[in-house]
Amino acid sequence: MTRNPGALRGLLQPVPPRDTARETAWLVLAGPFSLVAWAGVLAGVVVGVALFPLIVGPAVLAAVLDGARALGAGHRRLAGALLGERVPAPRPVVLKPGLWRWLKMRIGDPVAWQAVAYLMVRLPWTLISLFLAGLPALYAGASISYLVLWFPLHGAAMPVFGIHSDAWAGTLVWAASGIAVLTALPRLVHALTTVDRGFVAGLLSQPLLSERVRDLEESRATAVEDAALRLRRIERDLHDGAQAQLVALAMRLGLAKEELGAEPVDVGQVRDLVTTAHANAKQALTELRDLARGIHPAALDAGLDVALSTLVARSGIEVRVEVDLPRRPPPSVETIVYFSAAELLTNAAKHTRSPVRLALTEDGGVLRLVVADTGTGGAAVVPGGGLAGLADRLRTVDGELSVTSPPGGPTTVTAAVPLSR
Amino acid sequence: MRIVIAEDSTILRHGLVELLTLRGHEVAAAVKDAVALRAAVLEHEPDVSIVDVRMPPTHTDEGLRAAIALRGERPGRAILLFSQYVETKYAAQLLADRAGGVGYLLKDRVAEVSDFLDALRRVAGGETVLDPEVVSQLFSVTRRSDALSELTAREREVLGLMAEGRSNSAIAAALFLSAGSVEKYVTSIFGKLGLPPSDGDNRRVLAVLRYLGS
Repeated sequence: MTRNPGALRGLLQPVPPRDTARETAWLVLAGPFSLVAWAGVLAGVVVGVALFPLIVGPAVLAAVLDGARALGAGHRRLAGALLGERVPAPRPVVLKPGLWRWLKMRIGDPVAWQAVAYLMVRLPWTLISLFLAGLPALYAGASISYLVLWFPLHGAAMPVFGIHSDAWAGTLVWAASGIAVLTALPRLVHALTTVDRGFVAGLLSQPLLSERVRDLEESRATAVEDAALRLRRIERDLHDGAQAQLVALAMRLGLAKEELGAEPVDVGQVRDLVTTAHANAKQALTELRDLARGIHPAALDAGLDVALSTLVARSGIEVRVEVDLPRRPPPSVETIVYFSAAELLTNAAKHTRSPVRLALTEDGGVLRLVVADTGTGGAAVVPGGGLAGLADRLRTVDGELSVTSPPGGPTTVTAAVPLSR
Repeated sequence: MRIVIAEDSTILRHGLVELLTLRGHEVAAAVKDAVALRAAVLEHEPDVSIVDVRMPPTHTDEGLRAAIALRGERPGRAILLFSQYVETKYAAQLLADRAGGVGYLLKDRVAEVSDFLDALRRVAGGETVLDPEVVSQLFSVTRRSDALSELTAREREVLGLMAEGRSNSAIAAALFLSAGSVEKYVTSIFGKLGLPPSDGDNRRVLAVLRYLGS
């Protein structure tokens, strides 16, 4: 995903043979592929720009950019398979109806232009790489094979690199130098492809700033929608719950009041009415308390430690809680972590009877909430599902949700929220 | 009275059934949504229906739409719309058919049991009853039609009480006036609103409608 911080150290360490094979394949394959892509895209862009005043120009350019995007995607996948450089795919262009808007979106697509830049840089670098890696490979091949070829050549020189020895014993020295070069070759190939990794990571991923902007736009929309939804739910809860109870309460007291003014008073009926009204009042209190807790749990004022213990005590399942926080996170983070924990515990309670582990830690400026159970597994973030909703809400504080839940379990859900320093 | 209730809240549905039965009325059916309401009204043809505005599936204005539809099929079918909030717009829509026999009350009004039953009886009798809350909402609206702006403060008060569905004698009692002076105010209101003198009780509905600005 990101550049390995130990990349330089990696260059000095032995490279596993499997990696060398893949990296060599990348170099060899990329040669012809880059040449064709380079020539095609360059020609297309030149034609497109030259004819820009005519209607065909923009159309050609748009088509070429679309192609460049696809070629970039191909390179990115190849780099993933052969170089282990896994770069998140850029988002697809959001195309709007209408020819003009289509052209605008295609031609203004930063991902496509970055792919063009990549393809332009790629060819010269491929040629340099092939030369730099090919020459020592050729030398190693020639010097080692001189060991055998010395006989048919009758002690004459090899046609390349000035390899020559009068005595056969001398060929051993050449061969040794060839083997030395050969052992160094994997590191050379690795070093060359490391530059490729940089190109791929830098030019074939989503442009960083625009991704961030889009992320923020989406998470802001989520936050606004979430707030509206929450208010609507509170209104509904009030309407269906406490408000209805209070109407029923007032109605029964009204009946009782009128009955008390009657002659004679039916005491039994009044008692029944007051008893039911009393029950209505108690129920309304319970509902108001639950609602208030749903808006802001009072225990949260004392910190996540206390709030999560209270939450767990009410969850009805066995939960092992480990909270280890060196400092208090900001209130917004506390609230979102609390409600995430509540939702994850509710989920866990549905799928398991065994004890659940809930851990909350801070490590390197990241708050991590882990809820793990040994239930049936198979949990996944599906669009519109509960976990997806949770992930969306976490994103409003730049948090991430990850789920590992193979069929048969166990399930581990981790919510990570960065804390500002 | 034979009554059909449509109310999705179980607590309130049971409460209403209890109240009406205690006071000697017959609840023909108590249902949870607009579809069931329609079926129940067509089956029982009650004297009056009590209908919650917000019911499943969308919890917006199902009850109102069902009431308007039922009154569209048989004008004047008595319906008391029952809600936790009042919307002036809903009141105007409900009254737009001018057929009478409609009411629009806050659910809170059941607390005054006798007043509530009285309102229900008047709706069943073809009168129009609006919640004082609707009336005060209308008073707070500053932009009124020209005809209404000609009304004196006292005439507005009388019109407000007419909108609540009160009879002349009830208005006289509420405002500490003689029946004769209320009569005078009402005639003056009809005159200023340009309502022909022949229509009798219907004129009261028309005046209220004018008042609602619909």
